[in-house]
Amino acid sequence: MGREVAESCVDGVIMEMVSAYCNRFYSSQPELAARRIEAIGFQVGHQLSERYTMERPRFADHLEAIKFICKDFWSELFKKQIDNLKTNHRGTFVLQDNQFRWLTRISIDASPDNVDASQQDSSLPTPNNAAQFTSMHLYFPCGIIRGALTNLGIPCAVSADISNLPACELPGLHLNYGLLTSIPMLTVHYHSCY
Amino acid sequence: MANTACFIIVSRNDIPIYEAEVGSAPKEEAAHQHQFILHAALDIVQDLAWTTSAMFLKAVERFNDLVVSVYVTAGHTRLMLLHDSRNEDGIKSFFQEVHELYIKILLNPLYLSGSRITSSHFDTKVRALARKYL
Repeated sequence: MGREVAESCVDGVIMEMVSAYCNRFYSSQPELAARRIEAIGFQVGHQLSERYTMERPRFADHLEAIKFICKDFWSELFKKQIDNLKTNHRGTFVLQDNQFRWLTRISIDASPDNVDASQQDSSLPTPNNAAQFTSMHLYFPCGIIRGALTNLGIPCAVSADISNLPACELPGLHLNYGLLTSIPMLTVHYHSCY
Repeated sequence: MANTACFIIVSRNDIPIYEAEVGSAPKEEAAHQHQFILHAALDIVQDLAWTTSAMFLKAVERFNDLVVSVYVTAGHTRLMLLHDSRNEDGIKSFFQEVHELYIKILLNPLYLSGSRITSSHFDTKVRALARKYL
């Protein structure tokens, strides 16, 4: 079913999408831009999960679905699997990717010459800026994961955290109905309704 | 070889998003009955779907000489077929091909997930597949 596209095109589209939403559409409202990007990711994740689960049997429980995300889904998207999966057995999952593919092309250097192409303002990137800048790029994959899991029957909230580029502690899944508690790190709180 | 067949796709929210009479013997007066049987079978499918991890649930219910076969996707979308033929392999292939068509519909960014499938192209293809496999 699929045709192939060069990976640089994918990188380009994502960079331009983040740049467009952050700097042009909602330049004064970064939270709104983040929500829109995450919503785009949600729909993409929904579609991708349906596509990648076509050939395989359905999932018996939530853990299997999460493992599918960590292995098959991640390899389809990023050509590698999740490096580390932790859980507190109460609905919180921490996925850790030590080399997050979509962040490897982003360089935040101190010198203005090497500013990443999608960063349009010419201010010097401070560490604070860098973190905010890269966190914008993480909303899309968070949305993808949330869309995929929601389609597989697990409503959740996903957040991401980066320690140092390009290692990235990947999304924490909040499987929480209604309440969205603030997260210190990536933790998922899950209250089963079954 | 005339056979009756009624095919519906039910989304995860239990909303039918596609219906078609695909049998080669069109029985307009019984179409509402077919729909009724299929909807009534949804409860059984609900229970059965959690007992197995397979997608193709084969025959879940019988009504007179009609059989309901169901195919459940990972996103809990149910493809249900009411038929009187006994060709199980053909039915499984039919479901798999329709599943692929359904994914193509889903991949359309303008398609709202869970809404009715209105594409005439999809309709034509499903009927062609039904003629081929059923």
